[in-house]
This record gives sequence, C-alpha cells and structure tokens, in this order.
Amino acid sequence: MKISISSFKWLFGRNSEFWPTNMKTGMWAWVGHRLTGLALVAYVFLHLSFLTTASLGSGDFDSLMATTSKPLFIAMDFMLVILVIYHAMNGARVVLFDLGIGIRRQKLVFWVTMAIAAVLIVGGLWAIWHLIIGGSGGA
Amino acid sequence: MSEQRIATSKVAGTWAWFFQRLSAVLLIVFLGIHLYVAHFMGVSEENPGETLITFNDVQVRLDQLIYVVVDYGMLSMVLLHGLNGLRTVAFDFDMFAKRKKLVDVGLWVLGIATLIWGIIILFPFIFGE
Repeated sequence: MKISISSFKWLFGRNSEFWPTNMKTGMWAWVGHRLTGLALVAYVFLHLSFLTTASLGSGDFDSLMATTSKPLFIAMDFMLVILVIYHAMNGARVVLFDLGIGIRRQKLVFWVTMAIAAVLIVGGLWAIWHLIIGGSGGA
Repeated sequence: MSEQRIATSKVAGTWAWFFQRLSAVLLIVFLGIHLYVAHFMGVSEENPGETLITFNDVQVRLDQLIYVVVDYGMLSMVLLHGLNGLRTVAFDFDMFAKRKKLVDVGLWVLGIATLIWGIIILFPFIFGE
C-alpha cells in the first residue's frame, strides 16, 4: 500500500469534513475529544519519565517536588486539569448517548456537559489560584 | 469518510468499545480518589498544613496496601483507556487499519511494558531506597 498526500484528503482540505466551516457541534466535540485524548496519553509518559528520574534515577524526589510546585508548573498542571475535565465531560456525554440517553437533544446535552465542565474548571482555578499567584507554591 | 468511519468501528471491535466505557467510568472514580488523597487530605502526618509532598510522605502512604492498589489500579486503567483510545484513532487511518495485528501486538507490548515500568517506579517508596 502506498502512502501519499492523497491518502489524507479526507483529513485536510476544503472538502474535508474536518475543515472548520464544514464542522458542526458534534464534530467539534469529537475532534476536541481526540486532541485532548492524544495530549493526555503523551502526558502519562511524561509523568512516568519525571517520576523515574526522581525515584529510580540520580534525581532527588524532594527537589523535583519543590520545582514542580513553582507557579509555572502549577499553571501547566492547570492546563492538564482543563484537558482532563473537557475529556471527562465530553466522555460522559458519549457514554450517555451509548446508553440511548439524550440523543434527540444532543446539542443541548453537549452544552449542558460543557457548562458543567466550565464550572469545574473555574472551581479548580479558584482552588489553586493562590499557588500560581502566591509565588511560593505552598513550600 | 462516513463509510470509512463505520468500517473503523468494525475494525476496533465491540470489546474495545466496552472496555473503553468501563475504564472511563473507573477513571473518574480513581481521579476523584487521586485528587482527594493528593491535594485535599493533607500530605504530611506530622505537619498537616504542609502542601509540599516529600519522599517520606509518599513512603508513609505507600506503607498501606490500599494506596498501592489504588496507584497501580489507576495506572492500569489509564494505560488501558489511553492506548485503546490511541488504537481507535489509529484505525481511522488506512495504513494502521490494514495492519491491525501489528497495531494490536505493538500496543499490548507497549501497555504491559509501561505498566511494569510504573510498578517499578514505586519500589523505592514501598521497599525503601
């Protein structure tokens, strides 16, 4: 099988269903789910790598913890929180549809789950705000 | 593409679909436990106000079997869900859908190897350095 540019025609270009103006709500949700999912898989491996240097390697666990509690890292943690919350709430929507719940009102269900996601994200930000702005990172 | 997507769900299979939902629900439970234990319970027994986690704190925690079970359980579900998700994405591309066996074997090897890696990472905390 030959892999060429034309193999990806369905993915890119004006006639692709993924071209922004061709996408409807459900498609945006689906694309977002995949992108956040891929990012989270990458994060798991990053997470294990960092822990390896601190636990098995020459690195020092306590100093790694001190570094990762600095405002910059807490802010990056919060990006992770946003990805997880979106992925979880959109995932909940997918599971509901699989159970046959809410399919006829799928747009409404999408916006309700996103509203819950927004509340969780704001709540999360409220909880860790002082660690980003406060400077010392709780140390 | 719409025909292709139907074909994709057939390639991925019903078990993959089922375990993706099951692990998703379990992950939400694990995530709740993880957040509570790591950020709300208070990390240090001697110093309740402290939020910075030390090697010793983790060691004290992992002395209790339940925390080890939760950690390894969560990692298993993360890998099952993450790599199964990767598999679903991969099968939307012809080049992977046509090499199903190879993708499956590759992801199983990667998943089991990563689980073993994760299990070993906690050894210094469980058994001491």
